[in-house]
Amino acid sequence: MVARAVAGERAAFGILVKRYAGVARRVARAVLGNPEDADDAAQDAMLSALVKLEQYDARRPFGPWLLRIVANAATDRRRRRTVRRVEPLDVGLTAGGPRPDTTAERRALNERLRQALAELPERRRIAVVLFDVEGYSHGEIATVLGIPEGTVRSEVFHARRRLRVLLADWKEEG
Amino acid sequence: MKDPLPFDHRPDPVLGRALREALDAGDAQVFTARVVALAGQVRVPSWDAVLARWARAGVAAAVVVALAAGYLVGRGTAASRTTVRPTVSDVLIAPPAHPAEVEVVLASVIGNN
Repeated sequence: MVARAVAGERAAFGILVKRYAGVARRVARAVLGNPEDADDAAQDAMLSALVKLEQYDARRPFGPWLLRIVANAATDRRRRRTVRRVEPLDVGLTAGGPRPDTTAERRALNERLRQALAELPERRRIAVVLFDVEGYSHGEIATVLGIPEGTVRSEVFHARRRLRVLLADWKEEG
Repeated sequence: MKDPLPFDHRPDPVLGRALREALDAGDAQVFTARVVALAGQVRVPSWDAVLARWARAGVAAAVVVALAAGYLVGRGTAASRTTVRPTVSDVLIAPPAHPAEVEVVLASVIGNN
């Protein structure tokens, strides 16, 4: 599919976009927080990847190559945009709270998780999202972030330790 | 949820699902359609354009190398011109580089006798 996209087949590129849209948007949102900004960054990254497809080494997996572009685009956008004051995370929120059984409580949990993610260093956020949400290996994440594999393990560990506090008393339904 | 093991190499499905839900933006189709539509307007560099770019870089590198080589050759020629060449009288007046060989002197003395 990548080879076809490199050959200039726009339909093949469309299939790649469809396949990687979800992960690209989630990674961008982990970096930027704001969903609109994240979509803009993911879109810029996809188009940038299209232009750079000639540089892609087909012997390597496509996902990490693309996600590196996405992560860089999101980071650049975050640096460019007006610095917004980050509100400190509400201690009451991190200390658990009631079980989010209802939709409203689920929404609250999502918000709490996003706030907790926003408090983590950027690299740590990307590492835990790619590892636990997207199922990428430590090696692949190391490629995305351009850091040693051991550092990725450490980043995932610290991110999990922080985020698990939020989910400590929450059990999935079913 | 299990207590985290340090550097656990397996993804945590509970945390993964919770994070996925928290980060999902929805409207994947709208996003995809938007990117694909914009991709139609993006000018992807063709192979001949890439080649032309490399050719320009190659010509620039060749010019730099030629200039550097010309400078080095020019400097070497100028240095050789400034070297002082001995005149004929200098050579005649100057003492011989090597002292006269003893055998030659003896032979001439014996020959005179």
